[in-house]
Amino acid sequence: MRPDATEIGDARRRVEALVCDLPGGGVDERAFSEPWELRAFAMAVAAYHEGRYEWAEFQLSLVQAITQWEEGGAGEPWSYYEHWLTALETVLADNGVLSDAAIDARTREVLAVPRNANHHEAHREPVAVSPARR
Amino acid sequence: MASPTDTRLRTQAEITARVKALESMLIEKGIMTTAAIDRLAEIYENEVGPQLGAQVVARAWTDPEFKERLLADASAACTEMGIGGLQGEEMVVVENTDTVHNAIVCTLCSCYPWPVLGLPPNWYKAPAYRARIVREPRKVLAEDFGFPVPDDVEVRIWDSSSELRYWVLPQRPAGTEDLGAFELAALVTRDSMIGVGPVRTP
Repeated sequence: MRPDATEIGDARRRVEALVCDLPGGGVDERAFSEPWELRAFAMAVAAYHEGRYEWAEFQLSLVQAITQWEEGGAGEPWSYYEHWLTALETVLADNGVLSDAAIDARTREVLAVPRNANHHEAHREPVAVSPARR
Repeated sequence: MASPTDTRLRTQAEITARVKALESMLIEKGIMTTAAIDRLAEIYENEVGPQLGAQVVARAWTDPEFKERLLADASAACTEMGIGGLQGEEMVVVENTDTVHNAIVCTLCSCYPWPVLGLPPNWYKAPAYRARIVREPRKVLAEDFGFPVPDDVEVRIWDSSSELRYWVLPQRPAGTEDLGAFELAALVTRDSMIGVGPVRTP
């Protein structure tokens, strides 16, 4: 059920080749600490693979997001992937894919959905038990 | 150039919602597929989590008092080790014994104890696993995962939800009495904490 480890290794090397030219390249900075960071990372690479923008555009956009943060005088804590997300949104907006207002609206919808919308209640007992047979 | 994110995102919950919104819109517009994002995420998923869960398991194997605390309140015990990240959701650890084997699922979506296990693998989110592990757990474990559970061991399947997330404390393998926590953690696999695979043997 798992893809072959070599296949993952090859795919990873291809992605690493893309990200090695980006700013803010420290290993610690790039480590993912929240699931959304990995989703944002993967989306930017996937949209590029789909030919939605040139990688150089994304790179420039990320440089600008970081520069903007630097000029803000460290009023906001550093978060590499917040800059990453800003860069992704910018490059999508510039290419006419998605507008900021549309993302805002959808974000409000997501936030309005109760956390337990899909699950009526927590199951405190096993949902299935297959007893020992002897 | 446009500057779409001029409002600073404050909380992790807000930014998580924004990323989710962005993802759903890009998928709707046909710009990318969930599978494409998953494939990329999978390259890195091992960095996000399972090694943290493995450290918790190794400590539980070597520190009986910690194990007691872990089984009583997994969220608190993980916080003790500096592992957090859940916002209000409860984690519950179920212990494998000589007579009981546990496995986890989210029957309705893909709820998963990500602070300790990282992002869920694709198959965990697939309808096939979610339905079949409940209907015929022994068969799925034996046939899909090549991990048969002995007949004299009861199998229990635990359904995670958005507010309650289960994971499995596997049994410490025999012949590891001389190993320290660091070496023990290397034996703990992601699948063993989902309950669909063995721990490694030294």
